[in-house]
Parts: sequence; structure tokens; C-alpha cells
Amino acid sequence: MGILFTRMFSSLFGNKEARILVLGLDNAGKTTILYRLQMGEVVSTIPTIGFNVETVQYNNIKFQVWDLGGQTSIRPYWRCYFPNTQAIIYVVDSSDTDRLVIAKEEFHAILEEEELKGAVVLIFANKQDLPGALDDAAVTEALELHKIKNRQWAIFKTSAIKGEGLFEGLDWLSNTLKSGSG
Amino acid sequence: MSGHDSKYFSTTKKGEIPELKEELNSQYKDKRKDAVKKVIAAMTVGKDVSSLFTDVVNCMQTENLELKKLVYLYLINYAKSQPDLAILAVNTFVKDSQDPNPLIRALAVRTMGCIRVDKITEYLCDPLQRCLKDDDPYVRKTAAICVAKLYDINAELVEDRGFLESLKDLISDNNPMVVANAVAALAEIQENSTRPIFEITSHTLSKLLTALNECTEWGQVFILDALSRYKAADAREAENIVERVTPRLQHANCAVVLSAVKMILQQMELITSTDVVRNLCKKMAPPLVTLLSAEPEIQYVALRNINLIVQRRPTILAHEIKVFFCKYNDPIYVKMEKLEIMIKLASDRNIDQVLLEFKEYATEVDVDFVRKAVRAIGRCAIKLERAAERCISVLLELIKIKVNYVVQEAIIVIKDIFRRYPNTYESIIATLCESLDTLDEPEAKASMIWIIGEYAERIDNADELLESFLESFPEEPPQVQLQLLTATVKLFLKKPTEGPQQMIQVVLNNATVETDNPDLRDRAYIYWRLLSTDPEAAKDVVLAEKPVISDDSNQLDPSLLDELLANIATLSSVYHKPPDTFVTRVKPATQRTEDDEYPDGNETGYAESPANAADGGASPPTSSSSVPYGAARQPAPAPAAPAPVAPVPDLLGDLIGLDNNAIVPADQHATSSGPPLPILLPASTGQGLQISAQLARQDGQIFYSLQFENNSQITLDGFMIQFNKNSFGLAAAGSLQVPPLAPGASRRTLLPMVLFQNMSAGPPSSLLQVAVKNNQQPVWYFNDKILLHVFFTDDGRMERTSFLETWRSLPDSNEVLKEFPGIMVSSAEATLDRLAATNMFFIAKRKHANQDVFYFSAKIPRGIPFLIELTTVIGNPGVKCAIKTPNPEMAPLFFEAIETLLKA
Repeated sequence: MGILFTRMFSSLFGNKEARILVLGLDNAGKTTILYRLQMGEVVSTIPTIGFNVETVQYNNIKFQVWDLGGQTSIRPYWRCYFPNTQAIIYVVDSSDTDRLVIAKEEFHAILEEEELKGAVVLIFANKQDLPGALDDAAVTEALELHKIKNRQWAIFKTSAIKGEGLFEGLDWLSNTLKSGSG
Repeated sequence: MSGHDSKYFSTTKKGEIPELKEELNSQYKDKRKDAVKKVIAAMTVGKDVSSLFTDVVNCMQTENLELKKLVYLYLINYAKSQPDLAILAVNTFVKDSQDPNPLIRALAVRTMGCIRVDKITEYLCDPLQRCLKDDDPYVRKTAAICVAKLYDINAELVEDRGFLESLKDLISDNNPMVVANAVAALAEIQENSTRPIFEITSHTLSKLLTALNECTEWGQVFILDALSRYKAADAREAENIVERVTPRLQHANCAVVLSAVKMILQQMELITSTDVVRNLCKKMAPPLVTLLSAEPEIQYVALRNINLIVQRRPTILAHEIKVFFCKYNDPIYVKMEKLEIMIKLASDRNIDQVLLEFKEYATEVDVDFVRKAVRAIGRCAIKLERAAERCISVLLELIKIKVNYVVQEAIIVIKDIFRRYPNTYESIIATLCESLDTLDEPEAKASMIWIIGEYAERIDNADELLESFLESFPEEPPQVQLQLLTATVKLFLKKPTEGPQQMIQVVLNNATVETDNPDLRDRAYIYWRLLSTDPEAAKDVVLAEKPVISDDSNQLDPSLLDELLANIATLSSVYHKPPDTFVTRVKPATQRTEDDEYPDGNETGYAESPANAADGGASPPTSSSSVPYGAARQPAPAPAAPAPVAPVPDLLGDLIGLDNNAIVPADQHATSSGPPLPILLPASTGQGLQISAQLARQDGQIFYSLQFENNSQITLDGFMIQFNKNSFGLAAAGSLQVPPLAPGASRRTLLPMVLFQNMSAGPPSSLLQVAVKNNQQPVWYFNDKILLHVFFTDDGRMERTSFLETWRSLPDSNEVLKEFPGIMVSSAEATLDRLAATNMFFIAKRKHANQDVFYFSAKIPRGIPFLIELTTVIGNPGVKCAIKTPNPEMAPLFFEAIETLLKA
């Protein structure tokens, strides 16, 4: 009886897809993260001119993950995807210290968006496998994450290539979403 | 508005678009698919659903092929209206072009080709490149067509990315369908390009011939059409090709048959062996005949093509005339075409049969067809001498049935028969005359009157007959009036008796005084003058022996026929018109490189072109309002002149240059004002009088172009002008012609100038001091700058040899060099045109490393030549100018001028 109930519960809950946007500057590793999460392997990617969308099942939650191109020309169209978004995964290339300022500006611009008011934010300090990559604390500092108000957020050190940190992040995300919606 | 009235403006109903938007974003796939279907439905009935663009595009990444196709359909329709957002679809295209399912790959590449948005075309190149090399032939063949589409959007991109080469590689593909599509794509690209792109080599030839046997029927059409453009190396190759293609003649598809016929006809031109040709003709007949058993519409197309074929190769269908006999239930358009071909195939051997047919047709009910049948009899009579008598007897029989339009038509053709066989069949005139009263059509009347006039001496009552027509002379149509006039004159010359004499007076009077028709009046006056001065001469003229005619009225000009035969099985061969007369193609701007434009060989062309600019009679005198070229330094230049590259080479030097200038759109209003001149005396300094002026060269003369603008409150009059001494001795050649200027009025004038009048001493200077006075104001002084190029004369062109000699003969100390780092020559052609327009003549060009070196010559009055060398990299800033001249002290002035010219 208990097992059956759990199954029913999970299937009911699993039916509901959480809409998640993966954002970040170009070459941050968004597409690689998406397919690492979805297929569990590293695919070779080219700059995403447009978007990728995949469904990722994790912890009984179906994530509808939208990976949007990060090039300057495409960033203006991010807003087309904001409505009904539960979570944002913001990917930062931790080794690209020169552009952390831009990453910060884009990040805070996103947080200002009315349509994303209720979205939780997960930050991936990606490319930890590269030498010279800043750690999560440094990235937190650089992105001025302490300025975030009224919003649940977390930062994880990740390496999409090695597959490190991603699922920890997703754990946090699923727990946060579950508790938030339940 | 009171507070609670606002409720009327807010509604709970959202309207269709927001509802669709919501559904498109639903988390349920089925709902999304239904929503997209609704969107497509709305789109097809004409509702604008473009605002849902991103929402629909977001549904694009799906496993569901049906949904994907619908989204693609939407994209094709709306990408153009949302060019910015279309970029969001790129990644999905890229993904789909790598999908494991070849149908999706092909769908992606096909859709990409249909999206004509510049911003995304470059992103589509990589997927296209991949698809051209795809493992699946269906993808490859779709990609091949996509290249042709892309070429239409951006030809340069296609060439840069090497897609043309990829396409050519596909000709060697092992899949015949791919080959056919590659051929189709290349042929289409070729049609839109001026450069040779698709040329069949002996290697591709064998590939095409192999693919021909295996590909689909429409693929065969593409390949056959391409083969028909191939020029075989010799008769043997042509024979081989034809041999491989002849089985196509048996194909069930009419298009394949016609294309095969076209291709064989083209190659037959090269085949010399009469046996082979005869054999081929024999082989082509049955398939052509078979085409005539198809539906009437196809028959019509076949007949129009056969019409062309029999003009070139009558033997093919010489024995098949029976299939062209009209059936009673043929549509009229088929009957008419059949008649035309019957006439072309009629021969001494089959004429009896043909005449029987014609005679029968002449008794049918359709008036147009009957007329054409009667006319056909006449044309056969003219064509076949030995059958003429039989034809005439048929015509006489037809006249006897007294059907009005048959009689009239018969008379028209008999007139032609008389002209073809003079003094042979005139005995029938009496019969014709019997039908005189029934004639009511101008052409028939005119023909009959011509017969009466021509054979007046054989017709006893010719004068009476003509007189009967004369009564209604004023009411007759011009065609008849002209014939009546001529016939009366003939009658009078042949029978100069009293009756005709009276008639001629009436006619001449009618045809001169009473008519408004200039043709008639002129002809009447000529006759009148002839008759009154020299009746013998009149006889020689009016009764001169006429050349014998032949029937070539429906023969096409051989060169036109060639072109139409090359276009068999296209609309062109149905219209009997060359394609370019009814197809407007947007040729892409020719992207020739600079070297192509000025190949070394061309230089002679430049050098040899006559420098007859001085010969002003050759072109209409330019009115004073047109713009002299000197306007180069106008302060507010209308869109820089070089934009429309005027292809007119500098044949007439200055004059054409002026014309070029005049066609620059911005200058079109020149008739009234012309481009603004530099303001030399602003209204603020001139107490309201503003003077703009500039030296200009026009028709080989130097003018001072002036504009006076009266912004003061009083009328100004009595304008006079005076020039201070200057280095070139410029002075006014006449007085200043400016009428009194009312307040607010302005006036433009050209003051002719002379040189060497009041020379100043000292080194050459470009300063020109001008004084202008009028009766109301003090004398105004202002300074102008003399730009040397105004003085460049029309005779400054040097031959290459004399240029070289002069260059060598001048010491190096006479060479002066100056660099203009800020100037860029972006188009050699435009610059050369511009320079040529100011009499700076292009001599030659050479390449030095990556630089282009141009040589010019110019001459100023008193025969001082300038030899100029311009070195630059086209498209990059920086021009080096070296000149050699006997008067190097002029160099600074020259550099000023060239700087202005190059900057313009």
C-alpha cells in the first residue's frame, strides 16, 4: 500500500515538468551541461545559435531544461523564455576571469526581471577542471551573489567535462523546488 | 470617466492569440501539437499569427515528425516577417541536419533553403555543407536544390563556401537522383549568373549519360536539357551522345520526349553523315506523332514545338502529314496549329490530299478556321509552283459557293498568287469581278482594287468598277483609300481617256484636300507631282515591274529559330519568343574582380577609343542648366557620385562624363537648379546677397558657374563682375547676364571665361579674387580657389608609346610625388570614370605586388602635359600620386585638384 502510494504520488508529481532555463555567457558550457545531465556523456558542441531543449528526469522530477545561446546577439531573446520559469541555472566560466564582470551584469539584469521573480537560482561555477579557475567563493564574490534578496540560490563548483558537481546542484534544485511547491 | 466604467475595457476573454500562446507553452505535448495545428490553420486562412513566432519555434525541438513539419511550415511563412527572431531556429536546424533520421535531415535542409533571411543564411552553410556530403542520397539531392536556393539569396556566399564545387562533385554521385538534382541546381544557377558556372566536360558527360538511364523522368528532363547545351567536340562525339539518348524518345512522359528531341536536334547540327541524320529523322517521327494522341493541351504544346522542328528539319515529318489533318472535334487552337504545320509540310507529292482537306475545312462553320483554310490554299499555291493551278481551281470552286468571307479571303490570297506568278492566271479575273459587290472587308476590298488597277488594261470595264468604289471614297478605311488612289493612277496611266482623267481628279482632290490621313495625302501629292511634271516618269514609277513574292510570311528568322529550338519544351517554344522577352530575371550584380574589369587587353580599348570630345556635334549640346563636372567640391555633396557605376566607357570624353553626371539621381533636378555651388559670399556678409560660384568645364569651355540669391529686402540689379590678376589669366569672356533680382529670388548663370588675359606674376597660385557689384550695394569681394582640373583639355589623351617616351624624356627633377594617406579608392571603375570625365585619361594599369598602379595623362592649355602615376590598394586607404610634367611648379596645384577628384 505504501509503495503503491509512493508510486502514485511520484507519477503525479513526475508529470509536472519543472521549466528550467540554462543561461550564461557564450562558451560558459551550457550546452555541454545540458547533455551531460540528459545523456550522461560529453558531446562536442558548437555555439548555440538559438536554443536546445531537453527533458531531464532526476529525483522524480522532470526538468524541462532550456539551454539558450549565450552570444551577445541572442541574449536579448532570453526574455522570450522567461514566463513560467521555476528555476534558472546560471553557468559561469570560472576560468574566464576577464568576462566575469559581464557575467555579473547579465546575471543581475536577469534577477531584475519581473517574470523571473519567483524563480530559484542555481549558479554553476563551471570549468573547475581548467587551471586558474576561480573557486565558488571567488565566483560568489565576483558575481556579487550576496546582493541577492528574496530568492533561494546556491552555487556549486562544477566541471561539465568531468561530470563533477552537476548532480549535486540538481539535488539542491529538486529539493528546493519540491519544498517550494509542496 | 468614472472609476467603475473601466470594467468595460477589461475583459475576461483573452482572444485567440493569447489563448494559442498559452496552449503552445503547455507542458503537455499533445496540447502543444494541437495548438500548432490551430496556428497553422489560422495561418492558412490568412490570419496573422506571426506574433506567436517564438512560441511556435519553441515547439520545434520535438521527436514528433508531424509537429516538426508543421513548425517548419510556419517558419517558412513567417521567418521573413520576424527576421530577428528567426535566429532562434538556427540551432534546431543545425541539430536536425544531424538527426539520425534522413527524412528529418532532408526536411531541415529543405526548409533552411526556403527561409530567405539574410541574418541566418550564413549559419546554414555548415549544415548544408554536411548534407551535401550526407550518406543518404535523399539528403544529398535535397541539399543540391538548397544550394540553388541559397544562390538566389546570396550568390557570393555560395561561391565563397565552395558549394558550386560540391554541386559539381555531385554530378559524379553514384545515385542518379542526386545527379539529376545537381544538374537541375547547376542549370538554375547558371541561368541566374553571367559567368560560366556549369560546363559539361567529357568526364561529366559520361556521368550524365549513365545517370540518364536510371533516374526519374523529371530527372531525365533536367539531364537532357543540360546535355542539349553541351557542345560536342566533333561529329563522332555528337553521334555517340545521340545514340545514348535515342531510347528516351520512347518514354511515356511527353516532357522527356520533347527534351530528348531538343537534345538530338542540337547535336544533329554537328553530325555530318547524311545517313546518320536521315536515320535520326526517321527515329524522331514516331515519338512526335505519338504526342499528338495526348490531350488537346499537350497536343497544342507539341504542335507549337513541331512547328519549329519542321522549319529546321522538314524531313522528319514529311511523310506524316496525315496526322496533322484536323479532326472535327479538335479544339480550334489545335486546328489552327495543325493547319500551319500542314502548309509547312505540303509538297508536290501530297498536295492533292492536302487540298482536299483544306477544301473541306473551308466549308466548316468556324469562320476563323475557314478563313485560315482558304489562306492556306493560297499559301500552298505560292509555295508549290506545280500545284498552283490546282490550288486556284479549288479557290475558284470555293468562290462559287458564294459564302461571303470565303470569297473575300480567296480574293486576298489570289492577289498574292498573281504577284507570285505574273501573267499566268489572270484569266480568272472575270470570275473575281463577279463577286465585287459582296466585298465588305477592307483587306478584301483593297486586294480587289489592287487587282483591278494592276490589270486595268485587261478588264474592259475597269473604270466603271473603280468608279463604283470611288463614290464612297471618303468613308473607306485608309487601306482601301490608298489602294483606290494607286489603282486610279494606274488606270489613268494605262487608259488616259476622259473617264479616268475625271476620276483621277476626284481622287487626288479627295486624297489631298479632303483627308486628314498624312500617308494618303503624301502619296497623293507624290502622284500629283509625278503626273503633272512627267507622265512618262510616272509610268516608270507606278507601273514598274514588281518583284516576285514568295511565301515566307510564317518563317522565323534563322537566328531566332536557332534560339527557339534550343528552348524546345519550354514556354519559349510555345510562345515562339525568346525567353528574355517574357521572363524578367534579376541578374545578380556582376561580381567581377577589378582585374576582370580592366584586363590588360582592355587598355588598348581605352587608348584607341577616339577622343573626339571636341567634336561637339556628335552629341546634343548640353544646355546651360546641366551640371558641369567641376562640381566635385560642392559643399553638401549629394550622395557621392560614384555609386551608380556608369558602364559607359569614356568614348566621348567630357561630354559623356557630363551625361554620366546627369543621370546621378540626386542631380536630376539639375534642370532647375543643379547641385549646390560652394557659397563664397554668405548672405550675412553680403547684406542679404549670397553668391555661390565655382569654375566648371563644359563642352570644352571654361565657365564660371554662379548663383545669386537675393535675401535682402530690396530688388538688386545691374550686376557686374571683375576678376583680379591670377596665375592663369582667367577673365570673363562676356558680361554677366543677371536680370534684376527681386527679394527672395535667386538666379543661376554661366559666365564664359577666357585664359591668359590678365596674368599675375610669381609662382602659380590657385587664388582667384573676384569682385561683384550691383547698383544697390557696395562692391563685394570674395576669394575662390582655382582647381587645375577645370583646365584639363579634351586633347590630353596620350598613346601608350608617346606616354612612355615623354616620361623617359623628362628629367627626374621634373617628377613630383605626393601621398594622400586619407584617400581610398574603393572602385577602380568608378574612379576611372570620374577621372575620365574631367579629361584625365586612363593610359594603362599594372599590378605591383598587391598594389594597383594606374597611369593617366592630362593636359592644360598652352600644351602643358601631366603624366600621372597613381598607386593604391583598391579598397584600402592611401593613394600615392607621382607626376611628371615640364612645369613642375604646377605640381601643388595639380595635387590639390587630384585630391579633390579622388575624394569626390
